[in-house]
Amino acid sequence: MRRTQRFGRAVAFPLFFLGLLVAWELSITVFKIPRYILPRPTEVAVAARADVPLLLRYTVVTGTETVLGYAVALVVALPLGLAIAFSGLLRRTVYPTLVSLEMVPKIAFAPIFISWLGFGLLPKVIIVFLVCFFPIVLNAVAGFVSLSEELTRFTRATGAGTWRAFFKIRLPAALPQCFVGFKYAAMNASVGATIAEFIGSDQGLGFYIQISTGNMRPDLAFAAIFLLALLGLGMFGLVTLAERLLIPWDISQRRIRGKN
Amino acid sequence: MPHIDIRNVVKRFDTADGPVHAFGPATIAVERGEFVSLVGPSGCGKSTLLLMIAGLLAPSDGSISVDGRIVAGTRTDVGIMFQDNTLVPWRSVRRNIELQLELRGMDPRGSRARIDTLLETVGLHDFANRAPFELSGGMQQRAAFCQAMVHEPDTVLLDEPLGKLDAMTREKIRADLQRLWLQTRTTVLLVTHSIEEAVQLSSKVCIITPRPGRLDGVIDINLPWPRDITVKRSPEFAAYVSEIGDVFHRYGEI
Repeated sequence: MRRTQRFGRAVAFPLFFLGLLVAWELSITVFKIPRYILPRPTEVAVAARADVPLLLRYTVVTGTETVLGYAVALVVALPLGLAIAFSGLLRRTVYPTLVSLEMVPKIAFAPIFISWLGFGLLPKVIIVFLVCFFPIVLNAVAGFVSLSEELTRFTRATGAGTWRAFFKIRLPAALPQCFVGFKYAAMNASVGATIAEFIGSDQGLGFYIQISTGNMRPDLAFAAIFLLALLGLGMFGLVTLAERLLIPWDISQRRIRGKN
Repeated sequence: MPHIDIRNVVKRFDTADGPVHAFGPATIAVERGEFVSLVGPSGCGKSTLLLMIAGLLAPSDGSISVDGRIVAGTRTDVGIMFQDNTLVPWRSVRRNIELQLELRGMDPRGSRARIDTLLETVGLHDFANRAPFELSGGMQQRAAFCQAMVHEPDTVLLDEPLGKLDAMTREKIRADLQRLWLQTRTTVLLVTHSIEEAVQLSSKVCIITPRPGRLDGVIDINLPWPRDITVKRSPEFAAYVSEIGDVFHRYGEI
């Protein structure tokens, strides 16, 4: 009984997803939708197979932009978030500046960066960086300033020095909130790369989608969209894996709290 | 000379609407090894007094001294416990108790036996390797007691540690707390709004008036230890409870 239940839970999502694809396939026949408007999933698969080398090369291009932008954002935003959380001066100057900049759609900068820096890798990395930077920094600040009054007092009463208090209390306590930012950024990183490619590029999956759509080949565009989805999923999966390794306790705690 | 000497202590907080009188004045002398309760209604500033004794807040007027030395800064020789406990979710019960030692730069390996004894006393030895969030609220507070006691503090400060528990659990943990105190005879200050709790556990009860809390009086509780259910049913126990209750009745609190 339990085994069949577990099996049922495990296959529920793949079956549902497969059902959606079948519904898509059938609705094209039923509603007689022409191929240049919306291709069938099977047509997308066939078209993609014919263009595998280019699609893979472009996946690597867009993937590189995404991963680099994300990594740089992580390396810059996390220490900055820490600095803001622990410095009253930065919290009164840099922090409100960042919060106001957060309101600006980062993509709006893309044409400017491309006009400055050309069609290459760098402007895309910068756009991805901008998209990822804000959620990471803001969530890191939130995580590091939200230590409970009780834990703050408890730590003070032990006489622990700054570093010991940081590594034993403050850092682990802040990590769950930090990961909210890491995950949000991971979901949006490839969005930044794709849009930057739309605006000005000569390679990458975003570029490929634009060209295919212009050539009335939505089947190829959908193939690229599928690869972008995989890229986003991969990024998210990696961050989730890191979360599982670094703060397994938070995940078990959420599971128990969720049940109550 | 009293162990903890609280003299004319007043606390005011500066707010946007000017200074707010939060507590005092109060003068209390606590002898070494006593179990002293501070009883008063919510918002009377009794927790503020506890924080001042810990050196986590400075009095606006008056002074607090420990063994003759004025408290000027955070004391590190106390064990503190709050209504919301300070167990961290990334450590097991045992490792949470060790956290108290690690933060003090002590090697927890030297205290294994002591931690085992503490866990045994509060009935948590089978749960040493569980995460706090896997435990009931009452068990968490028991673990927090061990965390507050493991470094053999000079004074234990308890800020409504049973406030969020149900009546039955509270009853059980009071017994644990009493056993722990009778074993160690550490000086304990307990903030509570339960008169019964104060009478059962304390050698001395300080009555704090409604806001801003002043000391109304100190009552010595002369009942035999341990104070189990038979003591609680005695007329002497009831007399103490109604004596203190009458004071709050006078203030219109109950």
